[in-house]
Amino acid sequence: MLWYKSWEETRWRFLIGLVVLMCSAVGTVVAYPQLVKLLPLAPRLDLSGEIGRRVTEAIELAREYRGYVWSQWFRQNMMQMWALFAVLLGTGGLLSQASGGGTLFTLSLPATRNRLLGVRAATGLAELLVLAFIPSLLLPVLSPAIGQAYGIGDALIHSACMFLAGAVFFSLAFLLSTVFSDIWRPPLIVLCGAAVLALCEPVLPGLSRYSLFRVMSAEVYFRGGGLPWLGLFASAAVSVAMLYAATRNIARQDF
Amino acid sequence: MVADPSIVETTELRKSYDDVEAIRGLNLQVPAGSICGFLGRNGAGKTTTIKVLLGMARPTSGQARVFGLAVDAQQASLDIRRRTGFVSDDKDLYGYMTVEGMIRFTTAFFPRWRGDLERRYLRAFELPVGRKVKALSRGMRTKLALLLALCRGAELLILDEPTSGLDPAMTEEVLQALVTHVASEEMTVFFSSHQIAEVDQIADRVVIIHRGQAVLTGSLDDIRQNFRRIQLVFDGDAPEPAFRAPGVKRVWRKGRVLTVLSSEGADGILDEARALSPVSVDVVPVTLKEIFLETVATED
Repeated sequence: MLWYKSWEETRWRFLIGLVVLMCSAVGTVVAYPQLVKLLPLAPRLDLSGEIGRRVTEAIELAREYRGYVWSQWFRQNMMQMWALFAVLLGTGGLLSQASGGGTLFTLSLPATRNRLLGVRAATGLAELLVLAFIPSLLLPVLSPAIGQAYGIGDALIHSACMFLAGAVFFSLAFLLSTVFSDIWRPPLIVLCGAAVLALCEPVLPGLSRYSLFRVMSAEVYFRGGGLPWLGLFASAAVSVAMLYAATRNIARQDF
Repeated sequence: MVADPSIVETTELRKSYDDVEAIRGLNLQVPAGSICGFLGRNGAGKTTTIKVLLGMARPTSGQARVFGLAVDAQQASLDIRRRTGFVSDDKDLYGYMTVEGMIRFTTAFFPRWRGDLERRYLRAFELPVGRKVKALSRGMRTKLALLLALCRGAELLILDEPTSGLDPAMTEEVLQALVTHVASEEMTVFFSSHQIAEVDQIADRVVIIHRGQAVLTGSLDDIRQNFRRIQLVFDGDAPEPAFRAPGVKRVWRKGRVLTVLSSEGADGILDEARALSPVSVDVVPVTLKEIFLETVATED
């Protein structure tokens, strides 16, 4: 029944995330024919600087459907929205108002704190897994409708990387929710951290190869390299460490 | 006669939050089958004691046992909670669940859940099963919290201010339900309150806690029997005697009247008082409210 409780507490965040991501995936596919029509105008644009370089790169990538999907969906729309919902799903738990109250009632049940937290984390991660895969799998399904094709293998690999690396955001929000009892500070801190991380990429290009976002979008894989094993392993290790810290933090707390 | 074993027992229990000592060497025994009222002023340490007993807070030092199990051992704490019904002070349940959902959720944790009692209390409390908990009034929420505690098939009920925030009619209804339940099911009840009237009404045993220490413990009958106010009236100003008899809790003079509060009957004090040649001597019983106020005042 703890699963039911966790589901009840998170289902609206999850369902809203699923609908938003699926709509965005559909939008990404159906927008491509329009984009193709606009591509001949692109060389006339005068683009300079880091942002200009990125726009130019996006235009170049868009000339090929696989590049467009990666650039527009996995590196941009999905990554931003999925990270946001990872933070939102990680927020809440035993201490938080976001869990609908009843902390003392929960603690009076014959269930260990580790179990309470474990079920909450597992539910959130399972929901994130669905958010990572289902919208992305719409791409290979819908692409034939616009006369394009997108490999299901690519969709699965990018989704898996998104989940494994992006779970860091979930875990950090989860950990902070065991520190702060209000519903605002954990997501705000994580989102601010994510924004700083994102801004570091154009400002400090040298560090971008170590960027978490680069691992999430599986850029190396897209550009023909292998899977970013080191990044994935490091991200997963950080996530596990933060989830473990959350359990230790709750275990030592008085309520 | 063998004394009833203690279901709840604490020895020199201490609990500190940072620099604040919430419990300061609490010694407590709640015998099996008793209804024990845990009386104390706001901030006396009642809720902290209950949280320690249920594993929600860890003792700083000393021992606390429930059913003979140490409350700070993880597995033992699980066993304690499996055998204990609990109603918290805030009656905070899951606002997003319906009454029925809340019951089904709780049922899953207690293999000895009493379906017959659940049906009985649903009817008696007139709980709307389809309504969300967040839409219930405080009284209804209290009743639901009580149902969830009573139907667990628990051997011990721990109730933290069970009637706080309820109107008198609702308070009476809740207390009656509690008394009826305890009369029909063999169980021990440990309930905290600062409402002396309700402790007087349903408890057979009382513990008064003040500043984290138990300052009075015993059966309510014994306490009522032993506490006496002895009023001595003199011809002139009352003297300032130093009574040697045991149990003198407080002595106060006002003009010709000397009043003695005793916790161990009046006989010893009367023997000494007669030597002072009072013109009249009255021995009157003391209410629980007076005992509480005097005990707390004496400790201050």
